[in-house]
Amino acid sequence: MLMSSEIQTFTEKYDLLGCIQCGRCTGGCPVTVRANLNVRQFVNDAYDEDKLEELARLAEIWDCTACHTCAVRCPKGLKPLEVLIGLRTMIVESGKVEPTVRDALQSVLLEGNPWEKSRATRLDWMEDLDVKIADPDEPVENLFFVCCTIAYDPRVRAIARNMVELLNKAGVDYAFLPEDESCCGSEVFTLGEEGLFEMQVEDSTEFLNEYQAGRIVTLSPHCFTTYKTHYPDLKSPVIHYTQLLVELLNNGKLTWKGELPKKIVYHDPCYLGKQGNIYDEPRELLKSIPGVELLEFERRRERSLCCEGGGGKMWVESESKKERLSETRIKDARALGADVVAVACPFCVLTLEDSMKGLGLEEEMRVVEIMELLGELMEK
Amino acid sequence: MKTFVCIKYVPDTSEAEVKLNPDGLSVDDSRFSFDINDADNYAVEESVLIKEAQGGEVTVLSIGPKKSDVMIRMAMAKGCDKATRVEDDRIATHDPLMVARVLAGGIKGQEFDLVMTGCMANDDWHMATGVALAEELGVNHASMVNKLELQDGKVKVHRELEGGLLEVVELDLPAVLTIQTGINEPRYAPIRGIRQAQKKELNVVSLDDLGIDPAEVGTDASQVVLEKLYIPEVESAAEFIEGEPEEKAEKLASILHKGGLL
Repeated sequence: MLMSSEIQTFTEKYDLLGCIQCGRCTGGCPVTVRANLNVRQFVNDAYDEDKLEELARLAEIWDCTACHTCAVRCPKGLKPLEVLIGLRTMIVESGKVEPTVRDALQSVLLEGNPWEKSRATRLDWMEDLDVKIADPDEPVENLFFVCCTIAYDPRVRAIARNMVELLNKAGVDYAFLPEDESCCGSEVFTLGEEGLFEMQVEDSTEFLNEYQAGRIVTLSPHCFTTYKTHYPDLKSPVIHYTQLLVELLNNGKLTWKGELPKKIVYHDPCYLGKQGNIYDEPRELLKSIPGVELLEFERRRERSLCCEGGGGKMWVESESKKERLSETRIKDARALGADVVAVACPFCVLTLEDSMKGLGLEEEMRVVEIMELLGELMEK
Repeated sequence: MKTFVCIKYVPDTSEAEVKLNPDGLSVDDSRFSFDINDADNYAVEESVLIKEAQGGEVTVLSIGPKKSDVMIRMAMAKGCDKATRVEDDRIATHDPLMVARVLAGGIKGQEFDLVMTGCMANDDWHMATGVALAEELGVNHASMVNKLELQDGKVKVHRELEGGLLEVVELDLPAVLTIQTGINEPRYAPIRGIRQAQKKELNVVSLDDLGIDPAEVGTDASQVVLEKLYIPEVESAAEFIEGEPEEKAEKLASILHKGGLL
């Protein structure tokens, strides 16, 4: 990979002269309702290299959630958000970042995950499960990569655990990676630690290419999009688990027990939808459950409202005290009369569930990752 | 200003279950992550801040295994200039006095104004190594430092005492300071900085290289005998206080009062 910042100017690197200042980026940016972030202005001001340090010191560069709405809407095909990431890089390389960001980045370097957990405990989520572990000498059709958050956070571990049970039952040719598996770098990239991310891409490409995998199946949309976008030399294609499950569904290998007479609204995660272009598979899975009435948000698919979990925001609190976007989302779900908010991303589960609890709606509503729901409906 | 900063590579025991090895004298550290000792990290930052303000040179000194080199490289990425790592399994590392003797051996014979280290270590919590190091070097010391100001040939330090009390003392240099957490905000060591720090000098030495007689820092020289480690039994003595809020408060106050806590 190019050490691009060292050989290109900031303007060249982010193609700032390609911008026509139409303002669609800021117009679509979901964060503008609660933070003083004007991404168009940054793209404009960053032409002036002498001003970059001053821009990098503005607190709002950390408000961006890397949802990619600005990139989706840009008529010139630019990625305005990456200008903000470039400014973050300047701060990160000076070392003067928030302690939470410092600790997350350092943990990725030392332990291969941003959650300050020991690498030796990465596979603890497998406890008491019959899991096939990948061996570089044995070809496997579906090689599973478990996201750091799913591996370590007890709230979302069920995504991986239920997946194992489902795969065993459906007789799928699969294997999970051993504990040398390391963070994909999604949040490292968006937090602006460019050097660390380059190292991760190099190391993980080498690690993953040791395996003879028909394809790599990711559980988190963050890993999915990161591998697809930033890992050009991976031997195996990368898919999201919802794509695999729809294949199994179409082949008659997935059946559900009983009915689930619930109104479910599906929230499109930014990294799966806007960035991964996967909108239909999660909906197909939900519609396959007998009794489910699938609702739709007004803001859905490529217009889906960001939950503010991406872009390194798990480690940076916004200065804004205005309503969180995840609260807005839960209120929208409530107005639709939804019993369940279903998502396909561990970060969305955490942010939306926090807001649901904060709004005191625990008795009336549930936030679930699709794999959690399917786990409850599997015939065991 | 010539500074030595002494740092230790310690396990993070907060996330994994602590288990003992069959010898009963050591902890099974296979499931822990390791990192720089928390207070030492603040000492590194303070040494770099002083260098940035006044110029000079910072040398990292550590006793530890090869895997701790990453911690040393991080300190150098932040601005420390060179490092010495002592690797020798003859050192009685359970005894802070023996550790201090070895660290002193890594400093003696060289010019220095300040030696800084963390006020305590996250693994054994002795809070003694820095003070013992001052004795070994024959220089002044101040412990639990949470603010310092350098003056001509002197350092004025704020020491954190119990009960929120602060003590301000002035010491002639050279001196050893043990640094309390919170004195600054340690910076991040970016990977590009760590790569550049690969070019800086990191000497790995043994006791022989330092001219230290192993008999003076080994188990036989130590007056501390590690008899056993054990995990305290978990006691369950929870009492649920029943009643209306006012009654509960009264009962709770009475319990605390009887227990001498109020």
